[in-house]
Amino acid sequence: MSSVTIRGVKKRYGAMPILHGIDLEIRDQEFVVLVGPSGCGKSTLLRMIAGLETVSSGDILIGERVINDVPPKSRDIAMVFQNYALYPHMSVYENMSFSLRLRRQAKEIIDRKVREAAEILNLTKFLDRSPRQLSGGQRQRVAMGRALVRDAEVFLFDEPLSNLDAKLRVVMRTEIKALHQRLKTTSVYVTHDQIEAMTMADRIVVMNAGRIEQIGTPLELYDTPANLFVADFIGSPSMNVIRGVLGAEAGRAFVELPDGARLFVPAMASGKPGQKVVFGARPEHCALAQGDAGVAVQVEVVEPTGANIQVYTKLAGAPFCAIFTERHDFRPGQTIRLDFPANKIHLFDAETGARL
Amino acid sequence: MMSKAKRSILYWIILAPLVVVILFPFAVMFVTAVRPRDELFVYPPTWGFSEFRWENFAEMWVKTNFGGALLNSLYVSITATSAALILSIPAAYAMSRYRFAGKGLYKNFLLMTQMMSPIVLVLGLFRLMMTLGLVNDLNSLVITYAAFNMAFTIWMLQSYFNSIPRDLEEAAWMDGASHLTSLIRIFLPLAVPAIVVTAIFTFINSWNEFVLALTMMRSSEDFTLPVQIYSQVAGRYQVEWHHVMAGTVLATVPVAILFSWLQRYLIRGMALGAVK
Repeated sequence: MSSVTIRGVKKRYGAMPILHGIDLEIRDQEFVVLVGPSGCGKSTLLRMIAGLETVSSGDILIGERVINDVPPKSRDIAMVFQNYALYPHMSVYENMSFSLRLRRQAKEIIDRKVREAAEILNLTKFLDRSPRQLSGGQRQRVAMGRALVRDAEVFLFDEPLSNLDAKLRVVMRTEIKALHQRLKTTSVYVTHDQIEAMTMADRIVVMNAGRIEQIGTPLELYDTPANLFVADFIGSPSMNVIRGVLGAEAGRAFVELPDGARLFVPAMASGKPGQKVVFGARPEHCALAQGDAGVAVQVEVVEPTGANIQVYTKLAGAPFCAIFTERHDFRPGQTIRLDFPANKIHLFDAETGARL
Repeated sequence: MMSKAKRSILYWIILAPLVVVILFPFAVMFVTAVRPRDELFVYPPTWGFSEFRWENFAEMWVKTNFGGALLNSLYVSITATSAALILSIPAAYAMSRYRFAGKGLYKNFLLMTQMMSPIVLVLGLFRLMMTLGLVNDLNSLVITYAAFNMAFTIWMLQSYFNSIPRDLEEAAWMDGASHLTSLIRIFLPLAVPAIVVTAIFTFINSWNEFVLALTMMRSSEDFTLPVQIYSQVAGRYQVEWHHVMAGTVLATVPVAILFSWLQRYLIRGMALGAVK
């Protein structure tokens, strides 16, 4: 097991820059998730750690060793591919033992390690089957087993669950997390699914357009997103954002919306009156206001999910979603007043998108 | 909706003229090959014969030096096929996996060579073989057959190689395999169906080739089967048609049977279950 250090890493395809200088320290035994929309460079970064892509500039270290020019086979990294990449002409046993056979390990050791891994992954009765006789979830497990038998320094996962159906994805998510808690191998996991990132990661790296937007624990990202992009990306349904202008009156700060409505906010040290800002509130952090406090909105669509009720409205012309766990009886067309607890709202600079 | 049986009958009726055109020469060939000599030119022609003469084949074998020509044909076809494959596999792999300057040009060049008939080049090739001292040497055929078939084999292999997921090789590298090991233990086993198909095509092309063999081979010991059979017809006062036809039966039927048996192994969908 080892740490992974990424120092000022850039990647270009010809003249086209893909990664603009990535700095990241992945600690020993940590489970780090790279998350971002497609094309943000997260897979490229993972493949650079694996050695499947060259590094245009900067350094990648495993432990203390710079591995920029080390071929993949000598990096001691195991990788689980998005489409599993099982060898179709080999049985499950042969697939899982391939790396050990390449290292010319003794037959008994290979057999013991494969059976151990198969036991952990519930694959023991499939060892003689060929990959094409397995279901998607089983193939996924074999791909993990192939990585597991290696005792590698680092595990890399490239969107390993994206080909599974929704239910299986949730099950496998928990299995992978439990596996990591047991083995504690340093892991880097790439996904575009923020729920996967939130549920599995020790730390999340949010990437966008070849840059890191924020690094932090799942709750840090959720509670204090560094900018609009992270605020929008983390959380589902995503955060409501409304443009407005910061103002102050009688010692109280507020955001004036385009339609003239005022949302009172805690005094912001870094904002000044007249500044264009974006007001953000998570749907689950909206409350029904008492009396004439808050702002009035008209209910458009009501979606009960069982666990909660999602209400879609418009606030100052922008779509706005609120989630209530209480069983209110909302009707479309009804006017309700929404309030936002001061400690749960977010303000961002409208130009830079940075958190205020 | 027609029933399945009705539809089958209809399709066979539509196909029947084609089947007749294809099978007619074979039928003539076969009937002539097993007839006694004096029934060759009866008028009006009939399909029947008084006696089924297997002896025609034995006589033909000795009289026409069929065995020698068969060995020549086997040597040329097998060696040319092997040579073409050994050179095409790396070329096709590079075309499929690597980016290099002039790749598109090279592909077009390969395609263009396919548009030229060997007959156009036969004089030049003959002079080339003269210079190399290979006229009347079976290896001249090996070289030219391999060369003429390579455009096709590279093209064919490359398109199949493209369908083998790159991830499989990458997974092998991550597992600790070198490029060469992953090529031999992962890639080539998956490419077997394509390699077999191209081998069959190359073999058949070489086996049937006539013009170059006629040009390059001057002495009758070195004739391949098509030239040997042709030599039983051309420039003779009396043509032993039953021997000629016995020769053509022996030259075509075993090969046809062998390959129709082999093709069952081609479409096995090796890559199924690998990814996805």
